Amino acid sequence: MEQRIIEIGESFTKELVIVKNSIDLENIRIKYLGRNGLLSQLFEDFKSLPKEEKPKFGQTLNVLKNDLQNKFDAKFNEVSANEKSEKSFVDFTLPGKTKSKGSKHILIQTLDEIKNIFKGLGFSVATGPELESDYNNFEALNFPADHPARDMQDTFFVNSDFLLRTHTSPVQIRTMQKYDPPIRIIIPGKVYRNEAVSMKSYCLFHQVEGLYVDKDVTFAELKGTLVSFAKQLYGNDIQYRFRASFFPFTEPSAEMDIWWQPAGKEGRWLEILGCGMVDPNVLKNVGIDPEVYSGYAFGMGVERMAMRKYGINDIRNYFDNDKRFLEQF
Amino acid sequence: MKISFNWLKEYIDLSGIEVQEVIDKITLAGLEIEEVVDQSKMFENFVIGHVKEVKKHPNADKLHLCVVFDGVNDLKIVCGAPNVAENQKVVVAKIGAVIPENSFEISKAKIRGEESFGMLCSERELNLSANHDGILVLDNAVEAGITAAEAIGLNDVIIEVAITPNRQDTLSHLGFARDIAAIFNRPVKFPSIEIEEINEESSSLASVEILDSDLCPRYVGKVVKNVVIKESPEWLKTRLKSIGLRPINNVVDVTNFVMHEVGQPLHAFDLDYLSGNKIVVKKAGDQKSFITLDSKKRELQSDDLLICDDEKAVAVAGVMGGENSEVTANTKNILIESAFFNPSSVRKTAKKLGLQTDASYRFERGTDPEITIWAAKRTAQLIQLTAGGEICNGEIDTYPVKFELKKVELRFERISKILGYDVPNEKVIEIISNLGFEIISKNIESITVTIPIRRHDVEREIDLIEEVARIYGYEKIPDIERVKVTLEPKFDETAFENSVRESLNGLGFYEIITNSLLSESVANRFGNSIGVLNPQNMDMSNLRTSLIPGMLTTISRNLKVKENNLQLFEIGKVFNKKDDTIKSFADFSEESMLLSVLTGKSIDTEWYSKDINYDYYDLKGYAYQFLKSVTEKDIVHSYNSESNLLFEYFTKLKLDDVELGVIGKLNDELISGYDIDQPVYAFIFNLENLSNIPAEDKKFRELLKYPKVYRDLAFVIDINITHNEVLESIRNGSSKLLHSIKLFDIFQSESLGEGKKSLAFQLEYFDESRTLTEDEVEKDFKNVIKNVEKKFNAKLRG
Repeated sequence: MEQRIIEIGESFTKELVIVKNSIDLENIRIKYLGRNGLLSQLFEDFKSLPKEEKPKFGQTLNVLKNDLQNKFDAKFNEVSANEKSEKSFVDFTLPGKTKSKGSKHILIQTLDEIKNIFKGLGFSVATGPELESDYNNFEALNFPADHPARDMQDTFFVNSDFLLRTHTSPVQIRTMQKYDPPIRIIIPGKVYRNEAVSMKSYCLFHQVEGLYVDKDVTFAELKGTLVSFAKQLYGNDIQYRFRASFFPFTEPSAEMDIWWQPAGKEGRWLEILGCGMVDPNVLKNVGIDPEVYSGYAFGMGVERMAMRKYGINDIRNYFDNDKRFLEQF
Repeated sequence: MKISFNWLKEYIDLSGIEVQEVIDKITLAGLEIEEVVDQSKMFENFVIGHVKEVKKHPNADKLHLCVVFDGVNDLKIVCGAPNVAENQKVVVAKIGAVIPENSFEISKAKIRGEESFGMLCSERELNLSANHDGILVLDNAVEAGITAAEAIGLNDVIIEVAITPNRQDTLSHLGFARDIAAIFNRPVKFPSIEIEEINEESSSLASVEILDSDLCPRYVGKVVKNVVIKESPEWLKTRLKSIGLRPINNVVDVTNFVMHEVGQPLHAFDLDYLSGNKIVVKKAGDQKSFITLDSKKRELQSDDLLICDDEKAVAVAGVMGGENSEVTANTKNILIESAFFNPSSVRKTAKKLGLQTDASYRFERGTDPEITIWAAKRTAQLIQLTAGGEICNGEIDTYPVKFELKKVELRFERISKILGYDVPNEKVIEIISNLGFEIISKNIESITVTIPIRRHDVEREIDLIEEVARIYGYEKIPDIERVKVTLEPKFDETAFENSVRESLNGLGFYEIITNSLLSESVANRFGNSIGVLNPQNMDMSNLRTSLIPGMLTTISRNLKVKENNLQLFEIGKVFNKKDDTIKSFADFSEESMLLSVLTGKSIDTEWYSKDINYDYYDLKGYAYQFLKSVTEKDIVHSYNSESNLLFEYFTKLKLDDVELGVIGKLNDELISGYDIDQPVYAFIFNLENLSNIPAEDKKFRELLKYPKVYRDLAFVIDINITHNEVLESIRNGSSKLLHSIKLFDIFQSESLGEGKKSLAFQLEYFDESRTLTEDEVEKDFKNVIKNVEKKFNAKLRG
């Protein structure tokens, strides 16, 4: 026993001298001072010594334990101090440690922007399915069967009764069937057009539709609301105009243009949205009395808006999802 | 459709109004102008020149050196035309002029060593005719220096108009003039059709029978005898050419002219080729095909309406005439057809035949049955003018059921109620009358008007309100500054998806949007897909059943441009058939899904670390962090090491038996099909199921007032014992003082022995109501050690 006490004390000291870092130091701690370390074993063995030898070794063991712990603590302080001073030079010019930024798709960001403006004007946000019935997409919206008005929207048909919605307007029908006026909603979502994919068109795009049905809703209010929207989106000093147009589900109908003058190019009127007063036939189709209630509706395409805003010239960029594109927004 | 201003001016006096003002006002009134071509602008830098001197070119036999006075200067011009001579008046293209024929821009040039400051033009170069035999020589009275546009009458403005489907009534110069007349409050001048007719009755030379009067409510015929077919006169050719039509012969040109004048499509039959001198209007029935005048064989269906004679079909009604009865150089006697066909019938036939003609375009939008007689007479008048002959008396008019004029009441108060501003009553009346609506009664509150049949789009009060608003001008509607606040409950059905997006953005994921249309084979690989009847191409024929293909295509595309480290997600709908035929919304599903992927390296060539590849644990961490933003409830996960179509291995996540989604490593076979050669980890969640998890009522938990006690330990155990098994064993060996267990190290090394690993844990103890004593923690801790050692034959380290 005595011999082992001496050996352990000596080997501990020897090993401790050559320690340079905190990792090696921790290994020594485990080997000598750990729960199953050499010192613990000595104390274990001590328990089995004859009773008369215990006082003698008991004292020696405690001396050893204190000795090892003191030497260890001293070394620990020395090592940590050294390690600290080594790190004390901070190169402030090193690049910081970064993580992937992450972002919403630019189309969704643009939708959010539009959505927030209308939420501020008291609109709720409604959604609906992309695979729609012919009734909701066309008939209820006053597009008669076999009418050239249907040619305005090239349609992907699933069969004679179902299709990929060509606009978010069927959600007007769904919402008016569900709620009584006042109804004041905007409807963001994907819509589909059967067009060849090119720089300027894609087989799907995103639309935001608006609908307000209440007593005494007027064309003047529609105009005021859309002017406020356009100013919030494009700036207070925009020039704008409303042109008569045709949509089967609104009467009177209009398109809103803003004057667009990109730097270094010739200015021109640019259509930003279609709008109008909800056609009485549409109100009748959902059981709302057009003599009591009136309403307005409007709709706009998100892709074109973002293309103009960010100078994107090929619509396919949105759907290619190149990381170099995604990271820009 | 093209409108010529010079032509238009025959029907409305536009003096004192600038062309631009007309264009601006009609645009605002709903006739969309797509293009304006000002011919005089096309002939900028073209002037009339006086040839003062012509000499031989010293270096070229066929060239001449000319001196041409352009009204200001004498220009030296090299000219190759054989007919150039002194004292001619010619068209000079000066430097800067762009030749209409070929868009060549004239600049100063040296031709065989001689300088030239312009070009003398041929008719072909000016797009006036095909004549290129020599330069165009004008009357000597023309003054040098005036613009060529003025001298040769090329001063027209041509506009290309996009007419909305409701406004077929404006598909002609007179129709167009009617809207302009209303806007500028000027009258429309209809051309006079006083004609001299011979005694012979049209109806004695031909007869008309309508068998399907619902498809052909009116058919007017008129006969002109003894015409001479030849080239049209200049005025007629100019009119047609100005709107982009190719002149054919005098009779055909007249029918085209009248159609563009008044909107009524007309057809001229060679009467001598009509068997029995008879027209029968009937459905195709058994007749399977027909050769149209473009010499093409057209397949017919039994419902298609045909114009027949006694024996055979001679035209597809409203679409195109037949080769067998068309007007030829030898034609003597003409039957003019001026009819009204059912719009949707013409539309169906034209669509099926894939044949849209100027006639079908107008018929399918609804023409004016009341103009048919006028149009037949006008056609006869102009045929006689250009082809001679005799006009037979009267018309053959078959009009079994007359259209009734619609009567609509327009309440003045209703106008302000819809528009939100007042239009003076007298202004309303002026607009309504100028548009050709007849006011049949009037009182202080309203007017009642009859609607001409040509305005198929006007049948209700609201339609008249629109007419008033668009002609009065939308710009007169005030910009109101305030709107009503309504207090119905507000909602946002996109809120959940948006919170998902924001949570994933916070974790570093970029959102992508991919095409929802895939090829049939790809779409069917991941579900029971729904096909589109009329796809653009076979790569986009079916609705997606999964977000995976779009994502893999995106990864693949990025790898090709060396964007190898990707952290992406998409939120989108997927569609699956539940029944083979879709008759209702119950026969298919449309679900909102989330797919997120990691691939490549999380740390790539950074100074502070060696490169680290994304792995399953990165994804699992992100998935759980994301789920935490949605629900705090305990998710049950079942691990599955067997591969399936999508995954090499995966974990399913459930909450109360509802499957929320899966996390796993995508199958190598699947991704290699997209040329992806690095592991892709993915999680997929059903957003509907996630959003249906009821929100928990959050309650504040009192903060712990007593210290926590920590104990560390490490075991060496067999390598195939899972973390979960050890956790369970630790928990089983502990009292409720143990609150959490955290794995903080895991390693394998030779020193541990083969098939062994070391797991190091930190255990956290506390009691919410008191401070723990060393002894009780120690006792608990010892139990843990014993339990784990016993259960796994584990060895405690350090």
